[in-house]
Amino acid sequence: MPAMSSVLANKSTRVILIAVVAIALVVAPLILPAFTNQTLVRIGVYAVAVLGLNIVMGYTGQVNLGQIFFVGLGAYVTAYGVNHDWNIILVFVAACVVPGLVGLLVALAAARLGGLAIAMVTIALPIVGVPLAKRLDEFTGGSQGTSARFTDAPDWSGLYNDQWQFYIVLLVTAAAFLLGRSLVRGKYGRAFGVVRENEAVAASMGISPYRTKVLAFTVASIFGGASGFLYLAAVQYTSPETLSFGHSISLVAAMVIGGAGSIAGALIGGAYYVFVPQLTNAIDPNLTTISQGAILLVVLFLLPQGLVSLPRVVRRLFRRRTSRSSLPGNPPQNSPVHQPATDAAREGLEKTERQDRS
Amino acid sequence: MKIRNKPDGVLGIVAMASIIALSLSGCARDGAGQGNGSGSSPGITDTAITLGVTTPLSGPTAGPGTCTVAGLAAYFGSVNAAGGVEFGDGKTRTVDIKSYDDAYDPQKALSNFQQMVSDGVFAVTSGLGTPTNRAFREAAISQQVPQVLVMTGDPLFSDREESPWQLGFVPIYENEGAAFGKLLAESDAQHKVAILSQNDDYGKGYVAGFKEAIGGAANVSVVGELTYEATDTSVDAQLTQLAASGADVFFNAMSITPLVISSLQKAQQIGWTPSWFLPSNTSSPTAILQPGGAGAYPGIYSVSFSKAPQSPAFAQDADVVKFLADLKQYGNYPDMPAFPHCMWSYMVGATLEEAFKNMTEPTRENFMTALRDIKGLQAPLMLEGTAVDTTTDGQPAVSTVLVQKYDGRGYGTVENFG
Repeated sequence: MPAMSSVLANKSTRVILIAVVAIALVVAPLILPAFTNQTLVRIGVYAVAVLGLNIVMGYTGQVNLGQIFFVGLGAYVTAYGVNHDWNIILVFVAACVVPGLVGLLVALAAARLGGLAIAMVTIALPIVGVPLAKRLDEFTGGSQGTSARFTDAPDWSGLYNDQWQFYIVLLVTAAAFLLGRSLVRGKYGRAFGVVRENEAVAASMGISPYRTKVLAFTVASIFGGASGFLYLAAVQYTSPETLSFGHSISLVAAMVIGGAGSIAGALIGGAYYVFVPQLTNAIDPNLTTISQGAILLVVLFLLPQGLVSLPRVVRRLFRRRTSRSSLPGNPPQNSPVHQPATDAAREGLEKTERQDRS
Repeated sequence: MKIRNKPDGVLGIVAMASIIALSLSGCARDGAGQGNGSGSSPGITDTAITLGVTTPLSGPTAGPGTCTVAGLAAYFGSVNAAGGVEFGDGKTRTVDIKSYDDAYDPQKALSNFQQMVSDGVFAVTSGLGTPTNRAFREAAISQQVPQVLVMTGDPLFSDREESPWQLGFVPIYENEGAAFGKLLAESDAQHKVAILSQNDDYGKGYVAGFKEAIGGAANVSVVGELTYEATDTSVDAQLTQLAASGADVFFNAMSITPLVISSLQKAQQIGWTPSWFLPSNTSSPTAILQPGGAGAYPGIYSVSFSKAPQSPAFAQDADVVKFLADLKQYGNYPDMPAFPHCMWSYMVGATLEEAFKNMTEPTRENFMTALRDIKGLQAPLMLEGTAVDTTTDGQPAVSTVLVQKYDGRGYGTVENFG
C-alpha cells in the first residue's frame, strides 16, 4: 500500500493514469451493454447534483434541503427550451443560469439567517415547487409533466442513443467536476472552509461570511440546474414528482454517504443514489424502503465519513496491523502516510459536530 | 498537509472512475436493442413468457401499487398451476411476473424500464401512475416494447397514433364523467348541477366527459362551476359558494381522500344536501363515505366496472371466491383488497391471457396485433354490462362503466337517477 501511494504521488504517473481513465471512459460506452451505459448516465446526472450540494453543505457547512428544486427547475427550463427549438447550447446555459439566479435570490435572503433558519428556507423550495409546477402548466405541462427528446443519437454518429447520452453526460459531468474541484481547492474553497469552521474567524480575516454563503448557495444551484439539464438528457421527461421533497432528502443522504466535503465523495454519492434502488429492487421489490434504510445505517455505522473514507480506513487498519507486527518499521515511509490520516479524521469529526448543531 | 491533500482527492476520482470503468468492461455489448432479428422477441421462449411491472411498491401510493402486482400474480399463479397458457402458435407457456418498485418517481420508472429491457422482459404491463408511465413511454416506443394495460386514466396511452406500443386499461376520466352525465340526462326531472373539480388533467377530464354527455339535455343545467388546486387543504369557500347556487346535484371531481371526507362533512354543516357524484377512486364506502357521514345525502353516486369483493352482495359470487383464494395463494395478499387495483390487475391478467391465446407468432408485433383485437371479453370480476374492448382507437381496454349508488354499506348498480 505505501509503495502504491508513492508510485501514485509521482506526477507523471498520475498524468498517465488520468489519461488511461479518460480513454477508458471514452471507449467504455462502445463496449458496455446498454443498461450499464444508462446506469452510468444516471450516476452522472445525480453526481452533479450531489456535487453542488456538497459545495454548500459539505464545504461551506450550510444545510440545504432544497437541492432537488434546482434540479427540477433546470429540467423544466431544459424541457421548455427544447420544445421551443432553442439552440442546445443556449438551453444548457439557460438551464444553469435560471436556477443560478433563483438560487442567488433565495440565498441573498436566506444567508442572512443562521443555521436552522436556512434549512427551513430551503425546505420551502421543493414544497412550493411542486404546486407551482402543477399550476404553471403553460410552462411545465402541469401534472402530466412534459417530455423533450433532444438526446437521440444523430445518424452521422452511428451511435446508439445510450452511447450518445453517455457522451453528453460525460462531457458536462467532467466539466462540472473539474470546475468544482478547482473551486474548492482555490481561494473560495478556503473561504468556504473558514466560514464552515467559524464565521467570526472568517470575518476577522476579511472574509465576509454572508457573501461566501451566498456564493456557495448560488454555485450549488447552478450545479443543480446543470444536473437538471442532464436529467432531461437522460430521462427525457419531467413532472412535478421530480421535485418531490423526499428526493431532496435522498440527495442529502447520498452526499453524506458518499462523503461530505469531498469531490470524489460526490461521484460516489451519485452512484449510491442510482445503485441502491436498483439493488434493493433486485433483493425484493416489496421491501425497497426497509432495505435502503438498512444499507444507509450500515454504511454510516461502519464509515461515518462516507464511502470515500473506505480506502483511508482500510489503509489505517492495514498500517495498524503492520506496525504491530514490525514495530521498528521504516520511519521515512510511515510519516507522510500518517499525516493525511489524522488530517482526514479531524475534518470528519468537525463535520459531524456541525450537523449535530444544525 | 496541503500537498498531501491534493493527490489524495485526485486519487479518489481516478480510483473511483477506474473501478467503474474496469469492473463493467467485462461484459461486452451483444446485439443491443432489437438486434436479433430472426424468430422470437426477447422475453419469450417455447415454455415461458416474462412480463414486467413497474409500480409504486413503497411510498404514499404503495397501497394501490402493491395491488397492481398482487392481482396479476394471483391470476397467472393460478393459470401456471393449471399448466400455463396455450398460445395461438400451439405452444403452452407459463407466465412469469417480475415486479419493480418505482416509488411513484418518474426517474426510477425509466430506470426500471431500462432494467426490464436488460432483464429480457417481453412486455411491461399493469403499472400504476400517469407520470411514471409517461416517463418511459417514448423509450418503450423507440425500443418497440409493449407497455400495455397500464393503470392510468391518461388518454394519451390509448391514442394509437401517438402511442403505437401502448394501451391503457382503466377507463379514462372522460368515460367516468360521461357515464354519470348520461344517467342525469336520461332522468325525468329537472336538475341543477354544481361542479367542483381539481384544476388539472384529472378534474378537467371528468368535467369534459360530463358536459359532453349532458350537452343536448334540456333538463340539466350547470348552475355553478368552481375549481380547487390539488394542493389545497380546504375547499370550504368553494362549497359555500356552490351551496348558494341551490343545486340539487353536486358533481365533485376530486382525487384527494381527506378533502372528499371534509367536503361531505362541510356541506352537511351548511345545510346543503344535494345528490353527489364522486370519482371511482375516491368513493370507498369504508374509507370515505362512512367517515364523511354520507348517509345524510339523498344519494351518493360513483362508477365501477368491477365486482366489489367486500360487498355482501358478491360474497358468494364464484369469481369473487376464486379471486380471493388466488390472491391469498399466489398474490401474497392475504387480506380483503382495500383498493380496486387488485381486481383491475386480475382482469389485466385475463385480458393478457386472451391476447396470448390469439398470438400466432412469439413476437411483440404479433402480441400487439392480438391484444388490439379483443372484443366483448367478459373478464372475471367484471360487472354485468361491462366488457373488455380493445378495438376502438382513443379508448382504453375498459371504457364502459356502470353508475353505482351507495346503499349505506356498499354500492349497487342503478339504471335511473333518483
